[in-house]
Amino acid sequence: MSKRIEVHHVTRVEGHGDIIVEIADGKIKECRFEIVESPRFFEAMLRGRPYLEASHITSRICGICATGHATASLRASEKALGVQLSEQTQLLRKLTFHGEILDSHILHVYMLVAPDFLGVGSVIPLAKTHREVVLRALRMKKLAGDMCAVVTGRHTHPIAMTVGGFTHLPKISELKELRERLVASRADVDATVELFSSLPWPEFERDTEYVSLTKPDEYAFIDGEIMTSDGVKVPVESYKQVTNEYMVPHSTAKLTRNKRQSLMVGALARFNNNYEQLHPRAKAAAAQLGMKPKVTNPYLNSGAQVVEIAHCIEDAILVIDKLINVGIKPEAPAAVQLKNTSGVGAAEVPRGMLIHHYEIGADGNMTGANCIIPTNQNVGNIQADFESLVPQIIDKPADAIRNDLEMLVRAYDPCISCSVHVLKIEDR
Amino acid sequence: MLSLNPDRDGKTLILGVGNILCRDDGLGIMAAQMLKERELPSGVSVETINTPGWGLPNWLDGWSSVVLIDAVRMGKNPGEWRKFSPHEVKMITEDEILSLHQPGLAAGLALAEALDIWPEKLSLYGVEPVSTEIGEGLSLEVTETLLNLINIILDDLGKIK
Repeated sequence: MSKRIEVHHVTRVEGHGDIIVEIADGKIKECRFEIVESPRFFEAMLRGRPYLEASHITSRICGICATGHATASLRASEKALGVQLSEQTQLLRKLTFHGEILDSHILHVYMLVAPDFLGVGSVIPLAKTHREVVLRALRMKKLAGDMCAVVTGRHTHPIAMTVGGFTHLPKISELKELRERLVASRADVDATVELFSSLPWPEFERDTEYVSLTKPDEYAFIDGEIMTSDGVKVPVESYKQVTNEYMVPHSTAKLTRNKRQSLMVGALARFNNNYEQLHPRAKAAAAQLGMKPKVTNPYLNSGAQVVEIAHCIEDAILVIDKLINVGIKPEAPAAVQLKNTSGVGAAEVPRGMLIHHYEIGADGNMTGANCIIPTNQNVGNIQADFESLVPQIIDKPADAIRNDLEMLVRAYDPCISCSVHVLKIEDR
Repeated sequence: MLSLNPDRDGKTLILGVGNILCRDDGLGIMAAQMLKERELPSGVSVETINTPGWGLPNWLDGWSSVVLIDAVRMGKNPGEWRKFSPHEVKMITEDEILSLHQPGLAAGLALAEALDIWPEKLSLYGVEPVSTEIGEGLSLEVTETLLNLINIILDDLGKIK
């Protein structure tokens, strides 16, 4: 008896990702996670452009993690140009970054993951069967978007963040209003944790090398060193020692590996590596979800996102308190020193560790760029998960195998690109 | 209702939808920008959105009336327009809901309806695009239509009041 599972464009993974599995006489003939999208040439686009444009150009790599790309981009330029950031700038960057992590995680766990568990095909029937769940998600998503808008001028593609600081600063009254809404959202966070702790996560364990940034004094989202669960710790400038990009014939994305066959980045990697630095309310959420490091079930990447939702709400309140306490001071962006130079910026964006490595000429124009995107780093790990999972579920019907594999890909929260969707209608 | 926006009660939102980097798909944005420069009846606001997706219910919440302007493939001649209520037509969402693509206007409206976040009046002015390929600038046909259509929309708003 043979089974063939082909899923074309299961999700957008920096474009399109396909699943191909063929089973004949109880044996796996083929098992592949393919990336079939075209290259996008952002790195080439940057060459010759002024460094001040880089964050605005690279923000367009993704409409979901635009702030993440802009932040990594700014950090690359700032490190190259010897820029020292004020505490106010660092706090505001952190606040808007939390907004984006929340926005992305809420979109993923509620709109994309929850329908799998609640027995519906998408969020639209979910709105009918679990109206309060979807209303809560929309409420939380609105708050997250407003956090970004207050700090950077708009929900996505931050306009007020620039090299060395900000071109616009929020008002204390805006921060106070956000704080009130964040405090009020704790009830929504509690309900979120309760919902996701009641879901039957698929059982599947496969240990891998978990890779994330880490910092001595806080749960790392911006800057830090690269650490792995296999004991590696290197400065971000040495990222190539860990990412080791390589090519395979069936994928247009570059894959990564370090100590093992593959590595994993994202919320679960951060959770495993930096658990101790989570806010107590986030640790309580983890306990309710039954998660304690090291968690080796990749489906629980979504669980780690729920934990980070709790963490980011609490940390955003603390950041706002610090800003309100010292007041918002008018500040011009910090000065730069132009020369032939290079720098590496790193951030933990919603889907994992993101690297921007820039070379800037003495005239201020970019001479080179290398961006390493989280989804690419996870492609090899998804393939390795497939190879481990398929033999365990080989006797299930083809539809069930397909469902398990699609849910697995989805758990990694592959990047959703924004594109135009022209409405089409017919007369009834 | 999400009831997040009580200040919108009794008021009208004109929402231009689209992407100005995809030629005529940007016509909703352009129309909204043209309307912003005109004198509007009191209680009427104009906004633009690119890909509202699942966030659309938040945009619709609380308004008594919402007027959407977007490029719509209706099988008409390029530049022809039509005013309709989303309930009068079958919106085609293709595979968007099955896949994880960021959903478009049709899926956003379907979600809003499922949540019962629906203004008392909701109308859509659809204009048949010539091209929605990547590129800037509207076609001549669509531009001519918009110059006329914004006056019709303003007239219609006057009748609402």
